[in-house]
Amino acid sequence: MSKFIKLIAISFLAVVFLAACGGGTDGDTDTDTGTDGDTTQEQIGEGDIELVFWEFGNTGYDVLIEEYVAENPHVSINLQNSDMNDLHDNLFTSISAGSGAPDITMIEEAQIERFKTAPQAFENLYDYGASDVEGDFLDWVWNNGRSAEGDFQFGLPTDIGPTVMFYRTDVFEEAGFDSSPEAVSDLVATWDDFEEVGRQIKDSTGKLMTDAGELVYNARRDQATQQYFNPDGDLIMDEHNQIRDAFDYVAGLFEQDLVGDIPLWTPEWFGGMGDGTYATMLAPAWMQGVIKDNEPEEGVWSITTMPEGAGNWGGSYLAIPSETEHAEEAYAFIQWLTAPEQQLKAFEGYGLFPSTPAVYDMPEFLEYEDDYFGGIATAQVFSEAAQAVETVYKGRNFYPVDDEVKEALDNLSAGADPESEWEAALDRINRILERQ
Amino acid sequence: MAKESKEVGSSKFSYQKFFVYLFLISGSLISLFPFYYMFVMATRLNREINQVPPPFAPGANLVENFQKVLSSIDFFGAMWNSFIVASSVTVGTLFLCSLAGYTFAKLDFKGKNILFALILVTMMVPPQLGLIPQYYIITALGWLNDFRAIIVPGLINAFGIFWMRQYISSSVPDEIIEAARIDGCSHFRIYWNISVPMILPAFATLGIIVFMHVWNDFLWPLVVLRDPTMHTLQVALRALNDARQMDYGMIMSGTFWATVPLIIVFLLFNRLFIQSLSEGAVKS
Amino acid sequence: METTTKARGLSEKKKTALSAYLFISPFFILFAIFGLFPMVFSFYLSFFRWDGLSPMTYIGVRNFELIFTDPVFFSSILNTFIIGLMGTLPQIFIGILLAFALNSTLIRYRNTFRTFVFLPYITSIVAVAIIFGVVFNNQPFGFANYILSTFDIGPIRWNAEYWPVKFAIATMVFWRWVGYNTIIFLAGMQSIPKELYEAAKIDGATVGQQIRLITLPMLKPIVMFVVFTATIGSFQLFTEPLIFLGRGLREEGITMVAYLWRDAFVYNSFGTASAAAIVLFFIIIAITAINLLITNRLGRSKKIG
Repeated sequence: MSKFIKLIAISFLAVVFLAACGGGTDGDTDTDTGTDGDTTQEQIGEGDIELVFWEFGNTGYDVLIEEYVAENPHVSINLQNSDMNDLHDNLFTSISAGSGAPDITMIEEAQIERFKTAPQAFENLYDYGASDVEGDFLDWVWNNGRSAEGDFQFGLPTDIGPTVMFYRTDVFEEAGFDSSPEAVSDLVATWDDFEEVGRQIKDSTGKLMTDAGELVYNARRDQATQQYFNPDGDLIMDEHNQIRDAFDYVAGLFEQDLVGDIPLWTPEWFGGMGDGTYATMLAPAWMQGVIKDNEPEEGVWSITTMPEGAGNWGGSYLAIPSETEHAEEAYAFIQWLTAPEQQLKAFEGYGLFPSTPAVYDMPEFLEYEDDYFGGIATAQVFSEAAQAVETVYKGRNFYPVDDEVKEALDNLSAGADPESEWEAALDRINRILERQ
Repeated sequence: MAKESKEVGSSKFSYQKFFVYLFLISGSLISLFPFYYMFVMATRLNREINQVPPPFAPGANLVENFQKVLSSIDFFGAMWNSFIVASSVTVGTLFLCSLAGYTFAKLDFKGKNILFALILVTMMVPPQLGLIPQYYIITALGWLNDFRAIIVPGLINAFGIFWMRQYISSSVPDEIIEAARIDGCSHFRIYWNISVPMILPAFATLGIIVFMHVWNDFLWPLVVLRDPTMHTLQVALRALNDARQMDYGMIMSGTFWATVPLIIVFLLFNRLFIQSLSEGAVKS
Repeated sequence: METTTKARGLSEKKKTALSAYLFISPFFILFAIFGLFPMVFSFYLSFFRWDGLSPMTYIGVRNFELIFTDPVFFSSILNTFIIGLMGTLPQIFIGILLAFALNSTLIRYRNTFRTFVFLPYITSIVAVAIIFGVVFNNQPFGFANYILSTFDIGPIRWNAEYWPVKFAIATMVFWRWVGYNTIIFLAGMQSIPKELYEAAKIDGATVGQQIRLITLPMLKPIVMFVVFTATIGSFQLFTEPLIFLGRGLREEGITMVAYLWRDAFVYNSFGTASAAAIVLFFIIIAITAINLLITNRLGRSKKIG
């Protein structure tokens, strides 16, 4: 038995050793990125006023912060990175129990709705001069970070996730279409076109038009002028037909087998990106990295506008919990960090798509081309999408409701009846809302 | 039948033996598979992992993936933190639970049954809702970002007391305790000098279970250890999750190497288990 | 003589009681600080509407009305019973057999086997989630569906159909906990003197007879322990359904604790979550009482037999 222990211990040490050596042999550049890359915590600056800043994801804010503390030596920033869900859970617990929140926190677009019920726990950024920068941001992004009454700004927008249509040029060509972005955009200008082209692709190649009903539904939902709730908080999804149309549209695609039953983030979904199982994916800017990761060959995937408009998925806000003793300094910092110049840098370094339209006209942005997507000016496609997003009231129960609709869509993919699934979803939604 | 069973011990091959091995080997394979697959993923690129069908043989990126882990989080610092927390809870729990278990098994006192029932009832409360009030207590004590926030509540272990009581009641004979009592031993000395050496397998079992549990737990540490220098291994590993673009090769590499020390700990406890066994055999 | 022993006996009794209270006090003190408050708080919350962020509103028994009119709540109770039985009973049975095999002196490499069998308890939940996602994948290439296809059974939607969901979750429960229970049984078997088995062997007892006549009766306190904790554990089943079904937790596979967790942390309805927790608490107490009654009766009849 002691042999077994030794064996395990030795193999462990061997890997550690190799890992350490490997860093050295790869040259200095590698070890450099290793040490000051994305460690989970960094204390940046030596100022007396320390701001604790919670962030998630790969933002590259550490580099920007160094710039900031160099100009503002009185502050130092303690940047703490964590998993996206963990960050929001911890923020929720801290606010609920009344202590433990940071000075600055990132809040994801989907999560900010529920934190809007706790205005007492956040600083109103209008009190610190947020109205001066309001005009710098896209209206719909700004409004999503504001209370329903419009007098309380919870957060300053950082990045956004405008959705476009990613498509596989090889599948479109195989089906006999011109695969340039302009041609595809004209070919698939409406949702009816999308369905028709889907049929043709299926007939001539046997491939699916798109990966998941969920994303088609999201696209059509985001293009609706009214969604689940009105600003008074009443459920209206059954009273106008935009959401129902989106639902029925997806049901139709399922019926004709034009859309796959391929859940997002599963191996078959990732694998499908490389195999060309599906011809299009209606997804946001940040999906570029995921696609590149799963289909190494350049020029296979390209990008064009989505039928009938755009949508948004993802993006974040920076908010200041009321617990902070340095709200002024925190605000000065986040205003700086979300200003167009810094958003451009975040875009260039880490692909965070800017929420300030001023960036869209900057030469560095206009000239940004991506060989991977056939050398087209990808940033422009996304910025067009960003400006086409509808301003719509979501409401704090948006996501629980949306989840129930998604469950119904999941059942549709297995062949359930749309009418009864819609009724069942409404029933579940009403039971959730009764609890609020 | 009688003849056959007699042969079991002596013959080299028997059907019984064959089936026992078959049973154990198939059980081991089923148990081992996810662990093996974790290793496979730790040696591969994300793209390879996402293939359909997924790969079942190790790839070439074992070292590279682990390098990525090391450059993203303070892996060994977090491992040390985990070690401190898990050993403290284990030692504390073993002592408190065996002491209480001994008390409930062997001492007579008023309210014994009610108090024991109360301990069992505490196991029946679903713990999931306690998160917010418990967090509130920790902040009131000023234990946020402090290992005490995990160690002290971790010592409450109704399961451990119940286990020790059951074990002690069947394996420590009353006669020995009475004899020691007549010799004038204090209760604590009877517990420490006489009972503890007799229940080492129970210690090993509870120790393994508690250590593993604390080591792998992330729900509660995640809530109370916000400062990354205080992160335990499982909390630190969570930071490897990117918001949207998961590098499963890297995540599994971190996860795999975080599990390896547990096997070593298991084998060490197992040794305690075996030793106590052979000692027991000598005694009897 | 008689009086002195009596006096000594009295003080002895007092001394014993004093030591006893001292020995068990750490548990109760710690529990009073860290366990009691959350319990009382849950009870209190069940009469309020609270989203965790804004102030609480007293609403009487409305939370109980809400959960008792929710069909999903009853599904969650039924699911908990079904999955609990499917996952736990075989676990105890196989656990005893494994422990017996691992305890047998006939077997070589016992430590290696022991380690392997215990591995599932150590394996990270992240890896478990991925593996079971591959095994119980809805697509035809999923491991379970692939095996079924060789018997001409079409692909099953493992995360959405009534029985397949339960079967998949129960399998996960079984897999994760069987090694754990084996180790517990094994510890119990260590305390059974070897001479008993040797004597039985000389008398010509088969392995089955050895288990039935020696192992099980001697192991009774440990078996009771495992049955008791496994029952409670199966009523508190949470991690497996959550990682298998995701935060949406479909009705086909939701368990009681998953139900109350979702109410609290997904729907931000802490009132109904607390109400469900209280109902669950009473169900567990009732089941445990029945459980104890049965095991006691079985234990007695065995003694008579």
